[in-house]
Amino acid sequence: MTLLATVLLVPWVAGALLVGLDGRRRPLAWSAVAVLAVGLVLLVALTVRVASAGPVQLVTGGWPAGVGIVLRADALGATFAVVSQLVLLVAAAHEAIPGPRARSFPGLVVLLAAGLTGLFLTGDVFNFYVFFEVAMTASYALAAYGGRPRQLRAALVFAAVNLLGSFIFLLSVAGTYRITGSLAMADVADGVLRAGANAGLLVAVGFFVAFSTKLGLFPFHFWLPTVYAGSRPAVAAILSGAVANIGGYGLIRFGAGIFPAQLRMAATALVVLGAASIVYGGVLAVSRGDTAELLAYSAIGQVGYVLVAVGVGGPVGLAAAVFYSVVNALNKALLFLTAGLRGPLVAGAFVVGALSVAGVPPAAGFVGKLTLFRTGVAAGSPALVVLLLVGSALSLLYMFMNYQRQFWRSDPAAGTTVSPLPRRALVAVLALLVLALGLWAEPLWQLSQQAADLFARESG
Amino acid sequence: MSRPYVVAQVVARLLWGPSVVVAISLIVKGYTDVGDGFAAGVVVALGLALFYVALGASAAELALPFLRYAPRLMITGLLLCLGTGFFPLLSGEPIFSHLPEPGAHVATVGSLELFTPLLFDLGLFLLVVGVLTVLLHQLAGLKGVAEDLAVPPVDDAPTGGRRP
Repeated sequence: MTLLATVLLVPWVAGALLVGLDGRRRPLAWSAVAVLAVGLVLLVALTVRVASAGPVQLVTGGWPAGVGIVLRADALGATFAVVSQLVLLVAAAHEAIPGPRARSFPGLVVLLAAGLTGLFLTGDVFNFYVFFEVAMTASYALAAYGGRPRQLRAALVFAAVNLLGSFIFLLSVAGTYRITGSLAMADVADGVLRAGANAGLLVAVGFFVAFSTKLGLFPFHFWLPTVYAGSRPAVAAILSGAVANIGGYGLIRFGAGIFPAQLRMAATALVVLGAASIVYGGVLAVSRGDTAELLAYSAIGQVGYVLVAVGVGGPVGLAAAVFYSVVNALNKALLFLTAGLRGPLVAGAFVVGALSVAGVPPAAGFVGKLTLFRTGVAAGSPALVVLLLVGSALSLLYMFMNYQRQFWRSDPAAGTTVSPLPRRALVAVLALLVLALGLWAEPLWQLSQQAADLFARESG
Repeated sequence: MSRPYVVAQVVARLLWGPSVVVAISLIVKGYTDVGDGFAAGVVVALGLALFYVALGASAAELALPFLRYAPRLMITGLLLCLGTGFFPLLSGEPIFSHLPEPGAHVATVGSLELFTPLLFDLGLFLLVVGVLTVLLHQLAGLKGVAEDLAVPPVDDAPTGGRRP
């Protein structure tokens, strides 16, 4: 209980202090990294406790649940919190090595960590919205990091589209309260069962649109390439590896946890949208010459897999969705950070990321794809298995076309400067982590299954 | 602002006092009646907004020198809020428990109740005033804002550079 409150307190207080100070100074940038590292350790401790002893819950003020706000750490939330924090830590260290260029950068990253941690560890729909806004506000400001017209354009597009998404989310929260008379997730889930079918569906669609916009799924992806390609590598890694997790987590938590009946009803539509996302992202990525733009389209394709898994549902599908979300977040963080670097170690790290995206052993993506194939088999659909195969083939193609273009060019005179060693070492460590996760996937897979079992009551 | 209007300036100066008084009353009666730290903060910030509009940013910040400390105000407020929310952790109680406990006797000064949520509301008040002042300052486009954006040389290629 104390641990649950502490993981929230640490980044919040530190973030508040850090935004007030000049983050361009190295010591401050590194203290932000230290805070994120402490947060990560606490979150891992929390996850271990949740995995071994079940969900941890805390009601603010000791009020009865329903009056007080419920904070709740379960396997699903804790897993997402850990991976998001890890990505933020790596990105913050990546910027701290040369020293951040904007005074607010370290503080904003730490505040983003506070928002994301709160969001993944809350059991209350409105509180989710509050932390969601804390996280989004920090990321709007982060998107402009760099301060060039390119980044400002990216930030403007990102803020405009995602404000609209947040607004739809808020409307859906209001709708939820209207039809269930409650905001605590557990009560809301019961209330939705009693509510009218149309009202429930309408609210569920609202949530789906809001989260799909965050995630950048096919019909709502339009903002994504401009933003990911325009922002700085560290920011692109943060947006795709940490902030986009809100969408994946939201789809699973709200879809399977609160609207299971609506999810079953819309299963076919979700699988079709996911398939469209996979094919669209894959085909467009093949046609892109620019690495960041390619990775952006690849991101659209990769989240399609998560949606397909959520659509298939059941213990197998949801576990695959959680597992793949985690792996995808790490892949994207690794690749975006690697894309901005040059020199020894970088190509190796890029290959690991590329293999992981394509789902080739021994990278973590292989296990992810394996779970997805199991989902396809569980759904009894040959079409789905073929689709997954086509998607993987496409990603193998575009990743290695890009690899050739980036690292096999024969003109070293093109003026590429070698990036500082610590930065290269950092991506190499992240690459090793992705490899390790592929070789020893058991803990993460156990966690994913525990997360999926949370919803066994609804989907069974 | 090249030609500030005299009437607006006088009104801004005259309204400043009453807006602070209204804000204080909103905090005092907040627990039994409508009002809280947030509303009080917004009322004060509206008074400040009038100052910025009537006098222009630099003159407003000369007239009310504390405006320059708005960022510190905001951070102090947030820390005060977090402090009052999370202090029960020390005694192992759930966060956001307040002292004295619900149902216990609360000391009062007039109609002002002295308990920890009052501190939370004061923190919120400072946070709202601070944030809105910082926003007014930025929107007024004072020189010095752009300093941050002067970008030093790049040490790595931006991701978006199109490669041949």
